[in-house]
Amino acid sequence: MLKRRFLVAVTALSALVAGAGMSGAAQSAELTKASLRLKWLPQTQFAGFYVAQAKGYYKAEGIDLTINPGGPNLLTENLVAAGTDTFGLSGGTDSVFAARDKNLPIVSIGVAHQVTPFVFVARKDGPIKTLEDFKGKNITAWFTGANYVLLGMLANKGITADQIKLQPQQVSVTPFVEGSVDVITATWYNELNTIKNRMGADKLRLFVAEDYGISFPRDTLIISEKTAKEKPKLVEAFLRATLRGWKDAIKDQKGAVDTVMKIAPTLERAHQEAMLTEVIRLMKAGDAEKNGLFAIDPKAVVKAHDFLLKYKVISKPVDLNAAFNASFLNAIPLADRLP
Amino acid sequence: MMSHPSTNTANAGFYAAAGTLLRGLLIIAGFALVWEGCVVFFNIPLYYVPRISAIVSAIFATPQAYVDGFLRTLSETLIGFAAGALVGVFNGVLFSRSRLLRSMVFPLFVVSQTIPVIAFGALVVLWFGNTLLAKAVIAFYLTFFPVTVNTLVGLQAVDPRQIALLRSFGASPMQLLLRLQLPIALPQIFVALRLGSTLSLVGAIVGEWFGDTTGLGVLLLQAMYNENVVALWAAMLASALLGTSFYGMLAYIEHRFVFWKSELA
Repeated sequence: MLKRRFLVAVTALSALVAGAGMSGAAQSAELTKASLRLKWLPQTQFAGFYVAQAKGYYKAEGIDLTINPGGPNLLTENLVAAGTDTFGLSGGTDSVFAARDKNLPIVSIGVAHQVTPFVFVARKDGPIKTLEDFKGKNITAWFTGANYVLLGMLANKGITADQIKLQPQQVSVTPFVEGSVDVITATWYNELNTIKNRMGADKLRLFVAEDYGISFPRDTLIISEKTAKEKPKLVEAFLRATLRGWKDAIKDQKGAVDTVMKIAPTLERAHQEAMLTEVIRLMKAGDAEKNGLFAIDPKAVVKAHDFLLKYKVISKPVDLNAAFNASFLNAIPLADRLP
Repeated sequence: MMSHPSTNTANAGFYAAAGTLLRGLLIIAGFALVWEGCVVFFNIPLYYVPRISAIVSAIFATPQAYVDGFLRTLSETLIGFAAGALVGVFNGVLFSRSRLLRSMVFPLFVVSQTIPVIAFGALVVLWFGNTLLAKAVIAFYLTFFPVTVNTLVGLQAVDPRQIALLRSFGASPMQLLLRLQLPIALPQIFVALRLGSTLSLVGAIVGEWFGDTTGLGVLLLQAMYNENVVALWAAMLASALLGTSFYGMLAYIEHRFVFWKSELA
């Protein structure tokens, strides 16, 4: 008897959570199971996904979505290609090219950060005033793409790789703050905040890739070729719910931070708020103004591709029409995509 | 006055245990005091070593996250450890019985242990997903090998004359194993179990670095990459508490049940 009452309560609750007028039982029967693999642990960089999840937008679209966090040694492309996860938020255009180059059957269906999400930082009172001053200096960059962006920027000024002391960057920004490293790579939304907090925003000189003619859109949404072919409706539904989540997160940033902090309560609120502000700026930049969130800017993709090809990071040209597919996104009315 | 010898020893044991516990608590309290004092006195910046009071208050600000993480990592560790211990002892017995198996399978085990856990972890996630099982498998992977080796060494250390004697009394192989060989090997096996207790914890924590939402490993990772030094120390203390308690429990079990250890030494 008690058990039955409990079941009724649970069903009623899930109906409430689903938010739609349908009865809980009827709806749960239609839900399709799917998972989203993020590129990192819960933080406001992914706020829109968590908001959509918390508000039941995925359920309303008929998706029973599990959000799987990423980690330092996980490659989202592999997990999506293997079918372990349905959707993935992967490294960026660069990792999509690399995966296609290795014949992994994945397709990008949207790009979150429209411009390069990281900058190169030097201290303002130091000897580095221009890119030319990088010569002979200690520089650290992530060897997952950022290193090529830096080398590309320097190549435009005629500086070669052997003229700088480039090291793979570790987790901590302390070597830069302490002065043993002259130039460090920092994402706008994470490391740069940490550095600003420890050194002061006015003590820093920033070198932005876009100022030197290079752009690397990152944080790409990916699916497998199989999903693209067999479940186009699921992909569209996922994008619709995701867009709703992100638009809510942009409108109510405090609420979005609350949602993420509920999942990872040990995070620092101030840091997460600053992160969300920057992430939204990156998502609304460039092509997104005209074509909405997650827009795939073909020009930016081609440019990044040609750049990596030139530096032999990818061994052969990638078929960009197969690697990027905007049709799922374009099936959604523009008004629902505009931030 | 020899009416209740057993009660007396039990009482003595209780007082001894209580005394050890009290001493341990005092040492911890003293350590915390020295820590706090040093950080304040030498004015050490927060990002090198935070004050222990700051760490403890960080834990109490969001206690649920640490409790959930502790329990999750504990269950991964225990499942992996238990499986590793059982399989390890079983393997050890098997290898001690069959020279052929030993020469064929044992080298494979050695090779398996040379694969870095980091490389192995990504595969485990592909196979098992983000499940508790995936972490337990990594804990198992780190535990079973030392247990196998030590069981084998312990079993091989049995005096052949003792085996011959029991055989002459008509002992079956099973009786030999349970009455003579395993008891003699047990102190050696416990060496491996104590080793395995810390290794399985490392396995569980590393396993959590391959994408999860709860666990001490997740807290560690999150704090590390956000450079939230206080949270990093908080997660480290929680892991240390888990590891130390587990180790202590095993040492206690060993002390209690392998009482013949000192006689063999």
